Amino acid sequence: MTLKSALQIITANDLLSGEVVYLTADGAWSCHHRNATIFAQGAQPLKHLAEIERGDTSVVGAYLAEAKVGEDQAAMPVHFREAFRATGPSNRFIGKQASAA
Amino acid sequence: MYNYTTFDKDFVATRAAQFRDQVQRRIDGSLTEDEFRPLRLMNGLYLLLHAYMLRVAIPYGTLDSRQMKALADIADTYDKGYAHFSTRQNIQFHWPKLQEVPDILEALATVDMHAIQTSGACIRSVTSDHFAGAAQDEQADPRPTAELVRQWSTDHPEFAFLPRKFKIAVTGSAQDRAVTKFHDIGLRLVQNASGGPGYEVSVGGGLGRTPMIGKVLRDFLHREDLLPYLEAILQVYNQIGRRDNKYKARIKITLHEHGLEDIRQRVEESFALQRARFDGADQDVLARIEANFKPPAFKAASTSRFETQRANDPFFNAFTKTNLHPHKNPDYAIVTVSLKAHGATPGDASSAQMRALAEIAKRWSHNELRVSHEQNIILPHVHKGDLPEVYEALRLAGLATANIGLISDLIACPGMDYCDLATARSTNVAQGIALKFDALKQEHSIGPLKIKISGCINACGHHHVGHIGILGLEKGGVESYQITLGGDGTQNAAIGKPTGPGFSADEIIPAIERLILSYLTLRHNASESFLTTFRRLGPAPFKVTLYPAKENQNEL
Amino acid sequence: MSFENPAISLSARVAELNKRFQNTDTVEMLREITSDPAFGKLALISSFGADSVVLLDMVAKIDRALPIVFIDTEMLFHQTLSYQRKLAKDLGLQDVRRILPSREAVLKRDSENLLHRYDTDACCTLRKTEPLARALTEFDGWISGRKRYQGGARMSMDLFELDAEQRIKINPLAHWSREDLASYIAAQNLPKHPLVAKGYKSIGCAPCTTPSGTIGNERAGRWRGQTKTECGIHFGNNAPARPVIPRAVIVTDEGFETEDWAAGFHSFASLATLPEQEKAALAIDLKGDFVAKDLLPWIGQIDLIRVSFPVFSDGRGFSLACQLRLLGFVGRLRAKGHIVADQYAMARRSGFNEVEIDQALARRQPEPVWQARADWQIRDYQNLLRQSA
Repeated sequence: MTLKSALQIITANDLLSGEVVYLTADGAWSCHHRNATIFAQGAQPLKHLAEIERGDTSVVGAYLAEAKVGEDQAAMPVHFREAFRATGPSNRFIGKQASAA
Repeated sequence: MYNYTTFDKDFVATRAAQFRDQVQRRIDGSLTEDEFRPLRLMNGLYLLLHAYMLRVAIPYGTLDSRQMKALADIADTYDKGYAHFSTRQNIQFHWPKLQEVPDILEALATVDMHAIQTSGACIRSVTSDHFAGAAQDEQADPRPTAELVRQWSTDHPEFAFLPRKFKIAVTGSAQDRAVTKFHDIGLRLVQNASGGPGYEVSVGGGLGRTPMIGKVLRDFLHREDLLPYLEAILQVYNQIGRRDNKYKARIKITLHEHGLEDIRQRVEESFALQRARFDGADQDVLARIEANFKPPAFKAASTSRFETQRANDPFFNAFTKTNLHPHKNPDYAIVTVSLKAHGATPGDASSAQMRALAEIAKRWSHNELRVSHEQNIILPHVHKGDLPEVYEALRLAGLATANIGLISDLIACPGMDYCDLATARSTNVAQGIALKFDALKQEHSIGPLKIKISGCINACGHHHVGHIGILGLEKGGVESYQITLGGDGTQNAAIGKPTGPGFSADEIIPAIERLILSYLTLRHNASESFLTTFRRLGPAPFKVTLYPAKENQNEL
Repeated sequence: MSFENPAISLSARVAELNKRFQNTDTVEMLREITSDPAFGKLALISSFGADSVVLLDMVAKIDRALPIVFIDTEMLFHQTLSYQRKLAKDLGLQDVRRILPSREAVLKRDSENLLHRYDTDACCTLRKTEPLARALTEFDGWISGRKRYQGGARMSMDLFELDAEQRIKINPLAHWSREDLASYIAAQNLPKHPLVAKGYKSIGCAPCTTPSGTIGNERAGRWRGQTKTECGIHFGNNAPARPVIPRAVIVTDEGFETEDWAAGFHSFASLATLPEQEKAALAIDLKGDFVAKDLLPWIGQIDLIRVSFPVFSDGRGFSLACQLRLLGFVGRLRAKGHIVADQYAMARRSGFNEVEIDQALARRQPEPVWQARADWQIRDYQNLLRQSA
């Protein structure tokens, strides 16, 4: 996927639950997109990603995803794929959207 | 139904225990994710968009009531109360947790089921005709062969790390309901001139990025030569199949690049060596398997209630017109239970529905169920006199939709709602089309039509063989849907041809509506199907209606 | 080499140089050798690692145009790449040559970038040694930043050495201590590699480097957990090509064993010309894509065939083993390379007698994990279908 946005977040799936998780500012993983820490595109997110790939065995398949800043300054998905990952399937009210309700 | 032997039971139980150990080693770090991935895939475990997904094998789509009930229990205990029946006659749980998967496999083993080889670059779970052993037009029952192939391919030491996945399908009817021409190997049960049993072997069919129709490698293979011959094909493929490019790694490309004659020569050479390894033990096993597939004890009873109810209940009557197929026994019918209620996700069933199906099959279908690649459930042996009761039970479970073979009986992969490979959603389009034509009350007048929808180029939704195929792609950051026309997965195999530029998620339902309305005006009469009309007229008039702005251009 | 008097042996010349410069200031020595035509065309080899900035700074002050060879193994930390760009810019280096591994070779030998997982030697050869050898062909000598205090084989290093190609190799910092380097960096206010602050004291490729901590051998973080200490580009000086050969582990149904085959392995191509006396104990190496029937003329004379598995997901070797058995090979059949314990039963059923793995894999997947699959003869569907009881 080509990254067009200048802002990025780091996301992955939790090794045990498989759930979509996001890297937060304090280096932990959150289930909620809005808690993701936002990076400017460049060396810094790549550096974090490299460290996760080498050392963080709690997640699988970490990658950078485009993001934007929402009204409340929280990270919002840009691509529709990331929007589905952040909420859950669109054909069934299940997953994150249901746990949030 | 095939009855597991002690050997089979020990095998699946041990395999579940091995996977428990592998999961433990993954969690403690002694297996890397790269090393664990093929091992979990060989046990049916994927990591998709939102969660893990466990694909459980339903070999050749055959299961009994006890197994269906166990699947419902798994959906409740380890998942979110539903499951998805796939386009390869298997069942998928979309929300299992890694540490609980060994428990699920253990639960499956207690009912003689497993998730072995439902994924990975190995020989996948074998598929077959979902009407096998019941259909009126059947020449030979493909299930014993399919079971033999299942056993032979299970944990085959040579073929667990092939260049790519490898799919085998078996049919025993003139009407090919198993899409054998689009499998890596398609087996058709035939007889030679002297009436000896054997197989016509096709190789190199497939959908995906490069759809191809299988070519006949052997027009007659003696029945006892099957396993060494399959071994020869796989051995040739394992050694010369491309490993440098995963889009060129399927055997269809190997066949295309080397040519049929070259492959045939290599296979025959290997076959000569392989043949000596089989001393006939496989034929003894096959005989034992065949004994398992004797027809059930059909009852002799009156079918009059069937006729009476048809006359009295127009809904029941409509159901019998679409959802029944002729059975070998004229007092019986094959019932197809639609998992395509208008607006539902094709192939999804709740645990309650699965339990209802188990119960109905137990009471009225000699304990048997089938899963079709068209994502429906089959009750293969229902006495016609019992049909009113079966219908009522189905209706109470929300499973009496009378739409088999019609426009809303469309198939769709999970698409971007679940799949990490998907480039667009597919279930939204399926739901939209079904709701649209239900609202127009047109689907019965449209008649037989197969719409197939895939959410990416890998074609799990079989769009290439849909009379109307829809392929979801991403274009410029939004979903875009391409239409293909004229595909056919039967013995008259054809690959659908793209019509032109794609449609956005908002435009695709109106585009399909325009297409169908023009078919209604173009057809000779109400009995000329969409596919027949398309074959008579070609794509031009349909393109005009799909792309109205371009109707004045020469090139349509 | 372009020394004026070819009559003087190269090693004598090297000994003379070592004597001549033993008390010379490092910068002065660099100035002399880079301006002396007798040394021919020189290049500085730099990893742009933890201390590289010292030598780069010195060279930049003498001759910014001196070619600097930077081997990018494509496995480096991204911090190294950005540090390389920053130093080139800050120091005004005019001729940094970033050398990549051969595309064709990577596709052939490490298409999944996993070679480092099971054969670090082969990975270093592919990504470092061979690209460097290629890059050096146009030079008469090379300058390296190795230090004696880094330990291992480096403790006995001279200022001037000869490499395996009889090229002169200059180690201007051989006698520098870690403190010397630190004070030079501080005095010149030079930028540090970003990973130094994170505890890395010697920085190579990302997969094989860990922080080396504060005490002990600085290069302890390189190939941690392995006996390996050098990547291969710094052997030479008439030393054997490999100081430490990782011992192969042979897995059989009985568990881990050591190599018992002493006669060596031949290639298939060499069979035709092999002297008779070599055939008394004959072993050959084959790749998975080998056409089994080509071996028919020799099949009765071979005692051991070793089939390589470059990555565990490449199953060609299993079919090759099967075919060799069907063609009548009755000797020892060994699978070598990246085979995981979970594949042991497959290997045995395909006709292999044993599996050869390296120590790194043996450490990660210890003996009990393999022995759990020593029961490969039971629960075998294929056997059930092939042979009547």
